[in-house]
Formats: sequence, C-alpha cells, structure tokens
Amino acid sequence: MIRATAQIALREWKRILTRKDHYIVLLVLPAFLFFFYAFIFDKQQAEDLPVAIWDDDRSAVSRQITFLLEQTASIHITASVSSETELRQLMQEKKIIGAVHFPKNMEKDIKSRHPVKVAVYTNASALIPSKLVYKDAAGVIITAGSGVNLQKFMKTGMTEGKAMALIMPVKLQLFTLYNPTYNYQNYLVPGLVTVAMMMMIIMVTVLIFNKEWEEGTEQELAEIGRGNAGVVFTGKALAHLTASWINFALVFGIIFPIFSMYHAGTWWSLFVMFNLMSLACIGIGAMVSVIMLDVMLALDFGIFYTSPAFVFSGFTFPRWGMPWYDQYYAAIMPYTPFLDAFFKLYFMELPLRYAGPEALRLLLFIGFTFFIAVFFLQKRLDKTQTHAAPVTAS
Amino acid sequence: MLLRLLLREVKRIAADHSLVLTLLLAPLVYVFFYGSIYQYKAEEEVPIAVVDDDRTGLSQTLITQIDNSQMVNVALRTTLEGAKESMYQGHTQGFLYIEKGMEQKVLSLQQADMVLAVNAARFLPSSEVAGAITQIGLTVGAGVRLQYLQKKGMNTEMSMQEVMPVNVDYRPMFNSRSDYGTFLLPGLIAMILQQTLLIGLAGGSAAERQRGSISEWMQMAGGNASVALWGKGLFYFLLFCAYAYFFLTVNFRVLELEILGSGWELAIITVIFLLSLIPMGIFTGLLFKSQLLATQLMVFSTYPIFLITGYSWPLSEMPPFVKAVSYLLPITPFLGLYQGVVQQGAHITDRLPDLYHLLGLWCFYAAICLWKMRSLYKPNAVAHAV
Repeated sequence: MIRATAQIALREWKRILTRKDHYIVLLVLPAFLFFFYAFIFDKQQAEDLPVAIWDDDRSAVSRQITFLLEQTASIHITASVSSETELRQLMQEKKIIGAVHFPKNMEKDIKSRHPVKVAVYTNASALIPSKLVYKDAAGVIITAGSGVNLQKFMKTGMTEGKAMALIMPVKLQLFTLYNPTYNYQNYLVPGLVTVAMMMMIIMVTVLIFNKEWEEGTEQELAEIGRGNAGVVFTGKALAHLTASWINFALVFGIIFPIFSMYHAGTWWSLFVMFNLMSLACIGIGAMVSVIMLDVMLALDFGIFYTSPAFVFSGFTFPRWGMPWYDQYYAAIMPYTPFLDAFFKLYFMELPLRYAGPEALRLLLFIGFTFFIAVFFLQKRLDKTQTHAAPVTAS
Repeated sequence: MLLRLLLREVKRIAADHSLVLTLLLAPLVYVFFYGSIYQYKAEEEVPIAVVDDDRTGLSQTLITQIDNSQMVNVALRTTLEGAKESMYQGHTQGFLYIEKGMEQKVLSLQQADMVLAVNAARFLPSSEVAGAITQIGLTVGAGVRLQYLQKKGMNTEMSMQEVMPVNVDYRPMFNSRSDYGTFLLPGLIAMILQQTLLIGLAGGSAAERQRGSISEWMQMAGGNASVALWGKGLFYFLLFCAYAYFFLTVNFRVLELEILGSGWELAIITVIFLLSLIPMGIFTGLLFKSQLLATQLMVFSTYPIFLITGYSWPLSEMPPFVKAVSYLLPITPFLGLYQGVVQQGAHITDRLPDLYHLLGLWCFYAAICLWKMRSLYKPNAVAHAV
C-alpha cells in the first residue's frame, strides 16, 4: 500500500513537472508574482504627497504652521491657491491631494482670544493618501493650538507641568502594535502572497483527476493505485503538498528575508498552519476535480471560488463590517481561518495554541473534502476498471 | 462581413460553457457579489477591550463616549491580562487601559495617562479606532479646560473661546464621509468590467489557437486582420458596453454611488477603454496555445493589475519598473479619467494627459494584436484541412 502510494506520488510529481498548466502555476508564477508584490510596496510608506496652501492670513503664525506642515512625512507643499474653486480644480487635475486653509486674521484672532478654524481639505476619493495628509496636518494644527494654550496658561504664572495638564488632562499613550509605522509592505504583501498560494493550490488541484480522464490515463492510474481511491488520493495529495512546500520555502526563506519581512521564530507554527491550509485546498480541488470531469468547468469553479478569497477574508475590510451572507461565504473558504491564524502567528508572533480554533476549522475542511473526494473517486475507479475488464478480456 | 464575424463569435461562445460562464455570468455575479461586501461603506463598531482601574465618574464618562462613537464597541475587561488575551484570541482589536487615580489627577491639575494599544496588523480598523479615541481624548481635555476656566470666574462664552484657540476643520472632498466603500466600489466595478472581458477574450483567443481555427477566422474576414480583429471584437464591444451601462446605472444606484461628472464624458472614456482592452485581450490570448493556461494566468493578473493602477496606492510612490508596467495598462489612464469624472466631477479636459495615454494604448494594442494575428495566419490551412 505504501509502495503504491509512493508510486502515485512520484507519478504526480512527474505530471507536475511536465504539464505547463501545473508547473507554471505552481513553480514559475509564484517566484515572479511574489517578488512583484513585494516590489510594488518597496517604498513602504507614502511620502511627500502634493498639498496646496491657501493662506488668507499671511502672518508669521501661518508661515510657521506651513513650515511645520512641510516637515511632516506625508505633506509636500507644491502649490499656493486663493480659493476653494482653485483648490478643487487642482484636485480634479490630479495636481494636489489636499490643501490647508489659514483664515484671514488668524494670528490676530489667536492673540485676541478668538478661536480660529484651520481647514484641512483632502481629496477623499483617494482614501489612503487623503487620510495620511489629514493625520499629519491635524497633528501639526493641534500641536500649534496646544502651544498657544501653553503660552497663555504659563503667562498666568502656572508651571509648565500644570499648564500641560490643562492642555492635555488625559494623555493618550498610543501603541500601534505589530506594525508601528503602518508600513504598507509589511501589511499587504504577506496577505497577498498567502492568498495567491491558496489560489495556486486550488487552481491546479481542480485538474488532478479530470485531466487523467481527459488524457485517457485513468486506467494506468487505477492500476498503479490498485483500484484503491484512498491510495490514489493520498499519493496525489502528497505530491501537491510537497509542491506547496517549495512555495513556502520561497516565501519564508527568500522573499520575506530579502524584503525584511521575516519574523524569526514564527516559521514552524506557520508551517503547521500552512500545511493544514494546503491540505484543505487540495481536498477542495480534488473534490471538484473528481466531481466535474470537464476540465475547463472545474477550472471555472476554481476561479469563481478562489478569486473573492482576499476581500472576503477580512484582510482589507473587516468581516464584521460585511452583510451576514458575505460572512457566511467567507466561512466556506479555507483562507479565512488560515488568515485569522496567520494574524496571530505571523504578525502577533503568538504560540501555535492560539491558532487552535482556526486549526480545528481547517481540519473540518480537510475531513469533509477528503471524504467526498475519496468516495467519488472510488466510484470512478470502479467504473473505469469495470469498463476496462471486458476490453482486457476480449 | 463584420456581422458574420460577430455571429461566428456568438456561436463559439455558445458552444464553450467556460466562455459562457466567464463572459455572460461572471460580470453580473461578481459585480453584485463584490459590491455587497462594501454595502455598509465603512467599518464600524470595532471591538476594543477596556480596563477601567479608575472607576470614577470621569472614567465612566470617557468609556460611555467611546462606546457611543460609531467606530468603537467597548468590551469591558477586569484585568489588563484579560484584555491582552482577548486581543490575542482575536475577539478584540486592541485595548484601552485607564489608570487608577485618573480623575483625582485631573482634578488636582496633574496630567493623567491612558494607554491605548491597537492591533495595527489589521490596518484599517486600527487607524480608525486610534483616530476616534484620540478625538474623544481631546474633547474630554477641552471639557476639563472649560470647567477650569469657569471656576476661575470666566463666563461660559469667554471660556468656550479659550478652550480650543486653534481648531481643525476637516473637509474631505468628493467623499464627504471618507468611507471605504465610496472610495473603493467605483474602482472595483471598473476592475470587474476589465478582468471579465480580458479573461474571456484571452481564453477565447487561446482556444482559437488551440483548436487551429485562426485561419478560418481570418479567411472569414477576407484575410484582412483589421476586419478580423474588429469583427470578433464587435461582439465583446457591444456586450461590455451593455454591462458598463448596467453597472453604472443599476449597480451604482443599488450601492448608492453617485456620478458627479458628465454621463456623456463617462460614456466616451468607457468606449475608448473597451476599445483598447479588446486588442489587448486578443493579443494576450494569442500568446498561448492552451485556453486552460491562458485563463489560469489571466486570473492571477487581477490583484497585481489593481495594485499598480495607482487607485489604492499612489503611482508616484512606486518603483520605476512597476510604474513602467502600470503605464502599459489601459486601466491606469482610464481610472485616472473615470475617477475624475465619477468621483470628483472633473471633465475630460482636466485630465487630457490620461486621455492621450489611453488613446495611445488603444493604438499600441491594436498594432501588436494585428501583427500577432498576421504572424499566426496561415492562408492555406483551411484549404488543406478541407
């Protein structure tokens, strides 16, 4: 039995290496795609975004705030405007992403204790740069306001400590855990890479049985596997599991270290979860492949099933913000529990036990899909051998 | 002749269930399916564990204000360890710790500390939560100052003026709620339009090569590659014009999205976009001898293409090589124009460089597609086959 399983696995590896729709997707594409993903966000953070100044005050204070704005990471003053119409036009022409407006008599109002409003305009149809610009601009303006208050309170004879306590009675110490600089490369690339790994496994395993029937090699397969679906399935699954290890090694051994995304000490627990996800994907692919003998139809199923995985998994937009039916759809994809575990093991660097609930869900995927796949495969193999027997006899 | 080629294409697609699924079913299913995710537009009620060691009126007020904000859903925990564990288990996205004696410190004019830890591995909710709680902290601070000034004998109006001498007035333009759905959905719809067309066209063209029917296709066009290209493309053009109209009317209405600019200008750029995608899709498909492989690889192009268009991440921040690849994609200038017209009420004339870029890519893809078709055309193949 073990010998037959090993023979099937070896035969499947030969198939992987000789079929373009197998080796390109499993072995060639990953190297190109994963490097490309990492390369897109090589700068890691968006900096020096074009921002306009609309200065109706033209005072020392407005110049000082403008100087401080230019010192921030995201803002680069590139234009000066004199009206909202003008700044709207520049946004429509893609020349600026935001603008800061200092109202007339700002300095005078501050000195005469009249509150002033500094307007921060952003082009929020480009959400990410817009939020970056707002965050930095608001930080500068609030600090400037606090500075004004500090001076006022200290002029009344208050100590600096007490004045600070009045300006900010409750000081919020903010810890942005696991990605303190909101680095885009560290955030997006692991998600993009792992979802691509899942897609690749499913997109190839949907072809592992139906291709045999398409190519007329099912008889040979049945003979090597001694007509036992469990043996045939295990052999093929082993070959695809080991093929997926190559991609795991590529990602965690080459790409992540090169782009400084490697989290030491996490690889073993990630490898365990990756194997569970790979097996779940192999189970899904094999189940489809054995039920849908039409190769293109099976591939289409693979595409329809896997394409939405990234957005439905909650990586970019949280699942709790989606309608209930989308949350159910997310639940029937193996990437969803894998991603939840991946957050814990990779980003948060927690011990493997924290991924227990997700591992259990993946095991359920594996149990269910393996059972269905083997059941239908056995039926097909039996039919193949029944058809082959009279031919052989004659 | 164009009509004959169009009918040929209809017959081919009808006979290929994979193309039926990709070209006729996928665009409609995907646009409703993906669109529904962002139906609520913004993520809200992010669960945050709160540990209140102060247990005073001030801390209670603070927690109530945080819980009342749309962004945060407070989950009370009794210990810091419990709060951390809750985050580790994935039940909450961070924790807020209020130190013992906070109210007393504030009343005796000493600065109190409050610790907020957010799980920034989950990018979007963490930054939104940090922003919301920071804002509440500032508001509480302003309230404390107000009380102090009033105690000093200042009247309410005067003290209100003193509390916040410089305020930020945030004016997000073209997406007044700054929500994720309004930002992403228009781009997502354009992407679905492009990818279903490209995957279907590339798969279908690869199938022509796989089945050896290129000569038949070209001969039906009288050996004229241009007629063959646009005769075949006419079906896709009409079909995807209909989809585009449907998406921009029905789906936009269902998803409560607005078109701020001119509908006619949007129609013009969409037509040019589709005209540039058709030769691009056919050319890509003709590079393959297998429909299966062409379809597989085109599927993997979706995310990279979307990421390098500049829609979600500024093009100026990308490495030169990535920028160069991006400039070769019709969707890059199209999204520039489309985002301008749809989301910012801009005119085509405001973004002429994008228009010239898109027109240039239409010419480029038409030229290389015609070249590829001619190079694969064997005039005698059909005769020999007969």
